Amino acid sequence: MSYVEALRLALRRLRTNALRTGLTSLGVIIGVASLVALIGVGEGTQTALTKQIAGLGTNLLSVNAGGSLVGGIRGAAGSSSTLSLTDATAIAALPGVLAVAPEMAVPNVVIVSGRANTTTSMTGTTPAEQTVRAYEIQTGSFISDLAVAKGLRVAVLGPTTVTNLNLTPAEVVGSTVTIDGIPFTVIGVTQPKGGSGFSNPDDVVFTPISAVQSRFTGASSLRTVGVSVADPNNIAYVTSEIQATLRLRHALASTASDDFTMVSQNQLLSVASSTTATIRNFLIGIAAIALVVGGIGIANTMLVSVRERVREIGTRKAIGARRRDIGRQFLVEAVIVTLGGAVVGVLLGMAVTGPVGSAVSVPAVPTLGGIALAFGSALVVGIVAGYLPARQASRLDPVEALRYE
Amino acid sequence: MVADQSAAQVPLLEGRGLTRIYRMGDTEVAALRGVDFRIDLGENVAIIGPSGSGKSTLLHILGLLDRQSAGQYLFAGVDTDTLDDDRLAVLRNRAIGFIFQSFNLVSGESALENVASPLVYAGVKRRERLDRAQESLVRVGLGDRLHHDPSQLSGGQRQRVAIARALVTRPALILADEPTGNLDSHSSAEVFALLEQLQDQGLTLVTITHDQRIANRAQRILRVEDGSLIDGNAGDSSYLDHAEQGVS
Ligand SMILES: Nc1ncnc2c1ncn2[C@@H]1O[C@H](COP(=O)(O)OP(=O)(O)OP(=O)(O)O)[C@@H](O)[C@H]1O
Ligand SMILES: [Mg+2]
Repeated sequence: MSYVEALRLALRRLRTNALRTGLTSLGVIIGVASLVALIGVGEGTQTALTKQIAGLGTNLLSVNAGGSLVGGIRGAAGSSSTLSLTDATAIAALPGVLAVAPEMAVPNVVIVSGRANTTTSMTGTTPAEQTVRAYEIQTGSFISDLAVAKGLRVAVLGPTTVTNLNLTPAEVVGSTVTIDGIPFTVIGVTQPKGGSGFSNPDDVVFTPISAVQSRFTGASSLRTVGVSVADPNNIAYVTSEIQATLRLRHALASTASDDFTMVSQNQLLSVASSTTATIRNFLIGIAAIALVVGGIGIANTMLVSVRERVREIGTRKAIGARRRDIGRQFLVEAVIVTLGGAVVGVLLGMAVTGPVGSAVSVPAVPTLGGIALAFGSALVVGIVAGYLPARQASRLDPVEALRYE
Repeated sequence: MVADQSAAQVPLLEGRGLTRIYRMGDTEVAALRGVDFRIDLGENVAIIGPSGSGKSTLLHILGLLDRQSAGQYLFAGVDTDTLDDDRLAVLRNRAIGFIFQSFNLVSGESALENVASPLVYAGVKRRERLDRAQESLVRVGLGDRLHHDPSQLSGGQRQRVAIARALVTRPALILADEPTGNLDSHSSAEVFALLEQLQDQGLTLVTITHDQRIANRAQRILRVEDGSLIDGNAGDSSYLDHAEQGVS
């Protein structure tokens, strides 16, 4: 009997037993749907994180004041004052460095515009910030060299900050706001980068570093220096250059550890992707268990079916079915139930991927890879689940089977 | 294997000292004890005998569904011991048609599909399969019941579907195990008439029966008693067990 005939036979049988077929394939439907949905959510998480990290800057290398984390607590006291503006200038002079933005952070400033106000963190910086942190301007302009040179009180706001002030970008540009009571003229609004939560890149205010220095901190110490590396393949080289330069400038003994830390975008990316891969594999594992349970359900139903159809098997052998014909009939039946379940499961999974993703705030879409994996696993499950019942059926002795009551 | 000129001398079926022993744990039941017989192409043979005497056991071996424990069984001159299970299946498919007491139709499949099913295993294309099945059903007078499920047919009609199924591969040999055993006298008469036609068309027919009319029509009667065989003559009703003639 050809596979086409076995298929025809299986479809006829499954149609007459539609309810049982449906219930049997339910396990596979659920397993496949969760595989598709969870892989979609896993990929969505990865993509979102990657995009967010990519949005952080252009081949960004972030140099932070202070030694490396020890037991989750940053090193010695005063370590946050180890970076200076002249350090930044020295880094900018190194080969392979595209741009350097010294950053002076003032957390929790209150911005007031008319009757509205909002709290955000302010970064005093230079025009290079736009390149280094990959900000685009949607209205107005970014801080100019002139503004830095003259210490002008001008500000560039993030789109979320503008919204928090109940204003539109068009309204806010040209207006005057106060930052911790000091008036600033708004000269631009950045493009939204997307992202949310703790350090929202759209809820920011940039001002000339000279203005921050004179009006707010009074000191010349920097929290971070953002470095944009010209060639992404050069990041390791530039990193070691910066390290050598800073150690020399800070006069560190060869035994002393660095009083600064460097994190590259690539490092963030690899940490993030290994974390999301772990989460994704965990989710896939759970879905795979559901699929295996579905397969056991199919094997069970097929075994019952063989028991019920002993006389049919005996009859088929009497009219000329060979062992492999009988085996094929039952195997194809199991595989068809599984694949039918897989088709429904894929559709269901595609339908629920979006909603499941938004339930956990991830823009999830079903992936082709996920669908292929789910389908392939279902096929394997169907063959494995059908094998034992098919073998049992094919090995029945025809005379015994015909006598069976 | 039956095609050359010498075929006429070779019996279609030949048993030499056929023995069939069932083992159940420590006990052994001898269902057949050294049976010898010859059945020629075109013969019409009735097998009679008391219940439990070994008739079905013999028929299963004749039909290549079972193998003897000892002795030799030649099918068209070929020693069946030399044939593997797949070869036997192919022979059953091509050369033998079975008719069972309990019909053994597959429910959920129409009469047409049931009749066509042996042709599936013969590798016949669907179109031709259905044509031949329809032809076969028309032949047994069920041309108007092609798409009925077996459950929608009477006992007599079901047996006629089973006969159509046995005939659809145009086999040389029809084996029937009490074909009228589950039927009332009217349906028995229908089935009986059909079997008579088959005899007239020259098929080899071996029928286990308790029905005296079928036995009377046979050219030869094989009487099985306690696993042994007594050859008898056609129309010799003394070979029928009187206790078993009730139905006719
Ligand atoms: N699978 C088996 N295991 C053990 N004993 C068996 C088996 N099949 C048949 N027998 C025994 O073999 C003997 C012959 O059985 P068989 O079915 O051939 O009888 P029969 O002549 O066809 O009887 P009936 O007219 O009632 O159909 C019986 O004694 C039966 O109990
Ligand atoms: Mg019997």
